[in-house]
Amino acid sequence: MKRKKIKNTLKLTVLNVIFILICILVLVPILYALSLSFSGSSSALSSEFRLIPEDITLKNYQAIFTEKPFLTWLKNSVILSAGTMILAMGFAVTAAYAVSRYRFRGRHGMMMTLLMLNAFPQILSMFAIFRLFKTMNLLNSRIGLILVYAGSMCIFAIWNMKGYFDTIPLDIEEAAKIDGAGDFRIMAGIVLPLARPAIIVTAVMVLIFVWNEYLFATTFLLNESSYTLAGGLYQLQASDYSRSWPLFTAAAVLVSVPILIIFFCIQKYMVSGLTAGGVKG
Amino acid sequence: MKRFLACLLCGCMTMGLLAGCGEKGTEETQKSGGDDAKDTQQETETVVIWHDGDEGIMDTIANCVNQELKEENIQVTFEKKSGLTDQLQLYGNDEANGPDMYLYAHDSLGMLAEMGILAPITDVISESDEADMLPMTLEAGTYKNTQYMLPVYFETLLFMYNKDLWEGEVPGTTDELLAYMEQHTDTAAGTYAVVNQHSTAYNVAPFINGFGGYIINEEAEPGLNLQETKDAITYNQKFAALQADGDYNTVTTLFNDGKAAAIVGGPWLVTGIKAAGIDLGIKSLSEFTLPNGEKLAPYSGVQGVGVMKYAAENRKETIASVLKALAGAQVGVDLAVNANCAPANEKSYEDEQVASNEMISAIKTTAETAQPMPNVPQMSVMWGPAESLLAAVNKSGEDVNEAADQYQKEAESAIADMQ
Amino acid sequence: MKRKKKAAWLYLTPALVLIGLIIVFPILYTGYISLTNMNLFHWNDYSFIGLENYKRALAKADSGFLAAIGVTLLWTLVNMVVQVVIAYFIALGLNVKGLRANRIYKTLLMFPWAMPAYVSILLWRVCMFNTEFGLLNQILGKLGLDKLNYLSQNVPAFISCTILNLWMALPFMIMMIDGALQSVDKSFYESARLDGAGFWKQNFYITIPCIKPILAPAVVMTTFTTFKQFDIIYLLTMQKGALSGASLQTIITYAHQNAFVSNNYGLSSAVSILIFALIIIFSLYTNRGLKEENR
Repeated sequence: MKRKKIKNTLKLTVLNVIFILICILVLVPILYALSLSFSGSSSALSSEFRLIPEDITLKNYQAIFTEKPFLTWLKNSVILSAGTMILAMGFAVTAAYAVSRYRFRGRHGMMMTLLMLNAFPQILSMFAIFRLFKTMNLLNSRIGLILVYAGSMCIFAIWNMKGYFDTIPLDIEEAAKIDGAGDFRIMAGIVLPLARPAIIVTAVMVLIFVWNEYLFATTFLLNESSYTLAGGLYQLQASDYSRSWPLFTAAAVLVSVPILIIFFCIQKYMVSGLTAGGVKG
Repeated sequence: MKRFLACLLCGCMTMGLLAGCGEKGTEETQKSGGDDAKDTQQETETVVIWHDGDEGIMDTIANCVNQELKEENIQVTFEKKSGLTDQLQLYGNDEANGPDMYLYAHDSLGMLAEMGILAPITDVISESDEADMLPMTLEAGTYKNTQYMLPVYFETLLFMYNKDLWEGEVPGTTDELLAYMEQHTDTAAGTYAVVNQHSTAYNVAPFINGFGGYIINEEAEPGLNLQETKDAITYNQKFAALQADGDYNTVTTLFNDGKAAAIVGGPWLVTGIKAAGIDLGIKSLSEFTLPNGEKLAPYSGVQGVGVMKYAAENRKETIASVLKALAGAQVGVDLAVNANCAPANEKSYEDEQVASNEMISAIKTTAETAQPMPNVPQMSVMWGPAESLLAAVNKSGEDVNEAADQYQKEAESAIADMQ
Repeated sequence: MKRKKKAAWLYLTPALVLIGLIIVFPILYTGYISLTNMNLFHWNDYSFIGLENYKRALAKADSGFLAAIGVTLLWTLVNMVVQVVIAYFIALGLNVKGLRANRIYKTLLMFPWAMPAYVSILLWRVCMFNTEFGLLNQILGKLGLDKLNYLSQNVPAFISCTILNLWMALPFMIMMIDGALQSVDKSFYESARLDGAGFWKQNFYITIPCIKPILAPAVVMTTFTTFKQFDIIYLLTMQKGALSGASLQTIITYAHQNAFVSNNYGLSSAVSILIFALIIIFSLYTNRGLKEENR
């Protein structure tokens, strides 16, 4: 018995060492970026690698807050992500509910078609969307961009939530129906609360997509004051001649922090939200 | 906890929705406010210029021009657009969202002119307004005998060295330079004599042009597998082997860190070099003689403004005022003093500060022998194959002859694809 | 019953309209442009030229294009296999009983996911792979070895791109597999252990069959993303002005280089449609494979 215990402790120690090594490996580039962002020298790259920079300074962060419209960008990012989340989730939840609960012709075919459509590289549709928005007068407006983002994420959202809805037993709904509850009451009162992990996780995936997207953001929004964080960050590094690595990494850190926070808040939903959909097969 | 989170999320969503609506509302009022202003003609008129360059340079231009146009109630705003030519392809015809003008290097001029989004400069201002411009810069702004671009400043590559690190005189021939490099380079220790973006077409053009080859000629024929071009690339390869990786970030950092004694670069590097506290010496590339007796012949790049068709049609008066202000000698002086740019206006050189600026005179001397970058539309597809060829030879160690034939073919098919 | 069907379509309509607008319309429009001669010289006065662009696009399908298809398939295969295997073992490790710090590890391993993709790529290019200042070469220098250029030849560049892709994609895969593992009924293992099954046997006969259906959707979606991957190879090796020397091409970078740089929208649209067709064929094939496995 004792030998087994020792063996077990040994096993766990080895495992811990392995994991610590893996974590260090994974984090090195990020730590490097973090150290760059606190570094005071202008070029930042240097032939002597050190994790703690020679002269630690906050001036890069300060520069981002004072010289760049960082808070405006943050506000834009929040508005766009929230708008996209509402639109995409609103549409996708009802659609996923319909696909999951009703048996109608073409249901399977439609889901497969959606999956195929998702395979079209989005960058190729930029020009067409530009033409469309020009006639609809949606260029340089947040509404237009929200439509693009919501449309792009809708298919993923429908697929992900439909899987989860499928796992919710029908019995409860049947009972509610007998009591005379309508579709919307069932959806709002029964299905949504039960599917909360899937909904939260899908919403966060949508949010991350919007948060990190820069190509459409810089093409369809025209003023520096309407850029999102990712778009502004992209502009910051796009020109070789004015690129400042410390400034860039500091901005990158600031962009990533909100996502990390959200991640940790929803970590416990993550697992069930993403995978439970598949349990039934 | 779960409930709290759900509530929080809901709250965020609602707030976002409200903010979104509110935002849209204010945008609309702002827009209508703008329209009112146009009707009454009392507010300042804004002219939007897109660029993809250094913001300090644009600020200098904007300050100077706005000062001059104050009385006419015109204001110029520069907006930075990365991927400028792609953006102009989309927005060039878009009166509501596109810019009034753009400021960019002249090599993309032919492409934009062919798309039919540019108005000839001479439609807006007369030729006498640009009488003071250097002929070379005007020529660069001309495509198919029509002038589409008003030159503002120009730049060429220079040989810049660290006076504290360079030993003795800077040699006058490239062979001597190479010998110096061989003696003073230690790749293992990471110290270099001269660094250059040796696989970037713009930076190798001094060799290619000097050997009598070309990347593309005026008839839009690529010349990557000409014997002269191949000789130049082979010759450049000897330098490349002693010049680190040749990526922009790498070479500038090496120079600014004092790990490289000299760099081939342009005036845009000066801000960083000064910040690093380097005692900078400058020599024109056209003062280096190649083994064939010719001088190194870099490209000259002219930065200028083009006018969008709809702006020229609808706001001719305003645009004309802005162009005249941009063509003035004062803009050139300010650019030279604040940003080390060589002005396109010859009158600017009469200013003492400009005349005594070592870097600007070096650029001006070089520009006299330099070749303007080709501005045919086909130029836009040449950078890719030319750089692939250089990278293949310098970095992957491929055979020059084979690689040149391969990328010449690629260039030809890229040009054919344009039609 | 009929009313029910109507209701279903009613719920679907908003989403379908949105998808139609943002996804389907651009595809159709691209199809339309592919039948015209819209290019630099016919920017506004383009006309209908039939299937001419498709003929040209297919004529371009030379050895370079075939090589690009090969590289794309190899890229997808290598990345998916390595990714799933590594993620599987890490997730197994995270689920070992008694590993108290597993939540901390899990949290730390998620970090790369939160970074915008292009930021990660640029960071890697400059901070890791750079020949002069990159961490990898600095370590080699400390060990007294020669500097290496990681991106100048195709094979090292492919490996470098794969490593970066793993770094960026593993967090998602680890999280998925970790979740799937937790849904496996623990009593299976008890009885297996009583039967004397070892570590490998337990994995092959219990864990893998149990998590396969749960993972299938995630794996399919990741496969698509890997197949479409453009940023990594483009930003690492072929950004303008910073070509690294490697000439790796996947289908998407090949199309980008051959069709989009030339500003010939007609031709590039035809290429886009052909690529789309290829992806559909590819995905039909994967789907069939998946279904057969599930059976």
